[in-house]
Amino acid sequence: MNRKTFLLGTLASLGVAFAAPALSQSTPRTVDQKVTISYYNYNLASAGNGADATKRLIAQFEAANPNIKVDGVGAAPNDLTARVQADIAANRVPDVVQMVFSDLDFSVTNLGAVALESFVPPDELAAHFDGISPNGRKLGVIDGKTYGLAYTFSTPVLFYNADIFKAAGLDPDKPPKTWAEVKAAALAITKKTKADGLLTGIFGPSAGDWLFQGVVRSNNGGVMSADRRKLVFAEPAAVEAVAMLRDLYDSGAYTNLDVTAAMETMAAGKAGMYLQTSAVQGFLVKGATGKFDLRASTMPRFGDKPQRPNNSGSALVILSRDPLKRRAAWELMKFMTSKEAYTVITRDIGYLPLRTDIVNDPQYLGDWVKKHPLLQPNLEQLAILEPWESFPGPNYRQIQKMMMDGAEQAVFGGGDPAKAMKQAQDSAQALMPK
Amino acid sequence: MSDLAMTASVPPPRRRHLLPWLYLAPAILTLGLWIYWPLIDAFRLSFYEWNMLPTAEPKFVGWQNYENIFALQKFWQSLNNTVIYVVGLWPLAVLLPLAIAIYTHDLPRRSRNVYRAIIFVPLIIAPVVAAAVWRWLLDPRYGLVNEGIGTLGYRAVRFLQDPKIAIWTIIVLTGWKLIGFSTLILSAANANINPSLIEAARMDGATRWAVIRDVRLPLLRSTVLFLTLMTILLGAQWSFSYIQVLTGGGPLGATTNIFYILWDFGFSSLSVGWSSAAAVILFLGFGLLAFILFRLIDRYSFHDN
Amino acid sequence: MTIDSAVSAPLRSMPAASPRARAKGKGRATTAIAHLVMVILSIFCLFPVYWMVVSSLRPPNEIYDTSLWPTGASLDNYAYALKAIPIVRMLGNTLVVSTVVTIAQLITGLLAAYAFARWRFRGDKFVYTLVALTWLVPFQVVMIPDYLLVSNLGLLDSLSALILPHLAGALAILMLAQAMRSFPREVIEAARMDGARSWRILWEVIMPNLRGTIASLAILVFISTWNEYFWPLLLSRSPENSVIQIGIQMFMTSEGTAWGPLMAASTMASLPILFIYIVLQRQVVQSFMKSGIR
Repeated sequence: MNRKTFLLGTLASLGVAFAAPALSQSTPRTVDQKVTISYYNYNLASAGNGADATKRLIAQFEAANPNIKVDGVGAAPNDLTARVQADIAANRVPDVVQMVFSDLDFSVTNLGAVALESFVPPDELAAHFDGISPNGRKLGVIDGKTYGLAYTFSTPVLFYNADIFKAAGLDPDKPPKTWAEVKAAALAITKKTKADGLLTGIFGPSAGDWLFQGVVRSNNGGVMSADRRKLVFAEPAAVEAVAMLRDLYDSGAYTNLDVTAAMETMAAGKAGMYLQTSAVQGFLVKGATGKFDLRASTMPRFGDKPQRPNNSGSALVILSRDPLKRRAAWELMKFMTSKEAYTVITRDIGYLPLRTDIVNDPQYLGDWVKKHPLLQPNLEQLAILEPWESFPGPNYRQIQKMMMDGAEQAVFGGGDPAKAMKQAQDSAQALMPK
Repeated sequence: MSDLAMTASVPPPRRRHLLPWLYLAPAILTLGLWIYWPLIDAFRLSFYEWNMLPTAEPKFVGWQNYENIFALQKFWQSLNNTVIYVVGLWPLAVLLPLAIAIYTHDLPRRSRNVYRAIIFVPLIIAPVVAAAVWRWLLDPRYGLVNEGIGTLGYRAVRFLQDPKIAIWTIIVLTGWKLIGFSTLILSAANANINPSLIEAARMDGATRWAVIRDVRLPLLRSTVLFLTLMTILLGAQWSFSYIQVLTGGGPLGATTNIFYILWDFGFSSLSVGWSSAAAVILFLGFGLLAFILFRLIDRYSFHDN
Repeated sequence: MTIDSAVSAPLRSMPAASPRARAKGKGRATTAIAHLVMVILSIFCLFPVYWMVVSSLRPPNEIYDTSLWPTGASLDNYAYALKAIPIVRMLGNTLVVSTVVTIAQLITGLLAAYAFARWRFRGDKFVYTLVALTWLVPFQVVMIPDYLLVSNLGLLDSLSALILPHLAGALAILMLAQAMRSFPREVIEAARMDGARSWRILWEVIMPNLRGTIASLAILVFISTWNEYFWPLLLSRSPENSVIQIGIQMFMTSEGTAWGPLMAASTMASLPILFIYIVLQRQVVQSFMKSGIR
């Protein structure tokens, strides 16, 4: 009985949602009755700090909002969108979802992600946005509307092993800043020590394309035209970036390991440099503690061109159709993107604070940041952060795979980089929405 | 067909029609509901573009989904790899177990049983666990295997990172899981050979090898054929967990097989069209292969008693 | 009792020692080589399992060590794993699911196999082929439709969702049908003469004599259900209602693999099944030897 009424209710609200787009009037300003919302979160799908911190945050939220009960659902990051999709298909629409950025476009066009502007009163929205880093907020904006607020996100960081640097005769206080310096340092390391020179998280089955986008963009290339219709990752600037990676690999400076193996090799103290999301910091620190001196620098740039890092990670997105639930979802989102929450997210899970004003505030992260210099390059890059672009249309994942396959072939496969990228771009273009 | 069927003579005609179906009902209902119904639906949906959502209308796209899949560069590479998987797996899943079954047959019973029990153990370890442990052991930097290779004075082997080696690593790991099972089945068949046949051959002065060649192997043929068929039809599926956990089809697509690539492009992103088309290709492809193989077996083998 | 005598009879009649008696020198060399090969193979098969257990006992900061024995055995990883996820609950869930699925598959398998073995009816070969062909349907194909079905039945986040699609399985049906076909017909004739109905013949005459096949089948089904991963992964919403394979996977995260706890959880997940195997090992091996899969 209960379930039936629930399903009918969901269906009815679905009807409402699609018949009447101007819903802002009907969304209540407060939650004055009991409501349960679901919160799909990938930190909950693994054991460890992320899950513990998330559970703690949910409990805090429930204590502060006695009318709202949060039903946490865990699914691995790569499966999360599929799970959300399946549950919508099964008429169990999730309310708040921690969506990986590359799935953001899909969640807007296909999963019915709700723009905050469409139901939150402007004054309330403005008040919440106050203090949020403008670059960070831009990450969740598509076509001028805010669909997501960056939640667990970070930037590419060049981790390095200061002990290996010393052993190779390099100055650990002057980490390489350009790709040319990276190459020189890596070659010195491979020559004088038994360690790998450079590892990255650019390629590999679970790598996605975010780091690749950052490298290409830093050479003023791109993956897609501004109107999001044409793929451009085989244009000269992008190919040049790919060719640079290829040269790193051919010279022996760059060792090709899959994502997990690279992370573990670095943690085991057997690699000099490692370019990867700052989110792996906790794992590396655990391996380094008492064994070697782990340090971090910003993402390398191309010559004089400034580096243009983009984010990795996820945004919170609201999918609720029912006005009351939507309001409750917004309350949860507000809490999860508050100063308190970002303090926990940064300190305990290892991501970036979307609210930069808490960094130096002793009430929040102030003391902690001083004790953890590894976060510094990450914070520096927050000021120049650009969005991780998600491909449009129903075939967005296939397009991403094709691009990364092509790039992998170009870097490690031994063929002509320009040709490999062109071939990938041509076949992927056919899958773009027309 | 069977001895049993012959004996089932004349219950009242009407009940006779109904009775077997009653016995079959639970199985048919389960398999029909959970396997065949979705499969039939997949045939239909493979001609549509749809994101599964109740609010979206499936859009008819004709053969588009199939064209997309066949246009994948990796598709043909994976087809080629699938053949390598089967060919590489066969010695591990059939030949080696056959040799073990025959060879250990003459060992003392106690040690023989211990060996057979031990090589069965990999089968009971969960694939995810097995893959994780192997990845650790084989790591080029801190893995134990490479440490051993290092002490022997050789360079570390990049078991899962070198495109030329990775596929063989996956094959051996898949075989690791299968050896015990195949050995048991072949040992069973081998033990069921009537000892008097062997005695008779020995009496005629046949050498050990001649006994194997002329008596054992012919009598084991149907079991070997069965295992070979399983390897051809299911080898790609068996490797799946290892590919997924260890290489994700890489490096450079060197370890993808047909099963993995269709999963990667089809099922892992929930576009119903891609995944349905992938499903149809898999089912029809392997179904056809099975049909041909069974035909060949029927033609070229006569049933031994 | 019956099984033991039935199985050991052919084994005992095997002239296992006779060839050695005949050609002593050559035989001994062959035996030595056979032992050597088998020992190497055994190490290959067992070592990863050993490594799993040893690593789970290493203190966290020695996890990348490659000594064959942990210098200071510690249970830290177990403590951590037990605290991080509800392992006991998950093991319990897995036990329930595996047991129910095993029993269900045996029952549906016996019924279906009996129908195939006992009668000839219109469409029997067709249905038999369809059952066999389910092997060629990759699970991923039916995963999503099945998910929607489970959801429409209101069974998400429940153990029954893990059980329902596995109430019948091709392996059980085919294996039992094979075994029944080689069943001596005289026995059934005798039962029929006594006026036994088909239902009673199945349970009272045939089933007791198939105990060997049933035992080995039960083990296989139990193991594969215990180790199942993809379907539970799709269904898992909260650790409390998940199975142990999901628990294991929770230690392999995109932010790094927690090797120690992972190995501890894996050991805990493998122990029950290893234990069952060791206890029933003789039974399993012998029932395979007897019935085999042809």
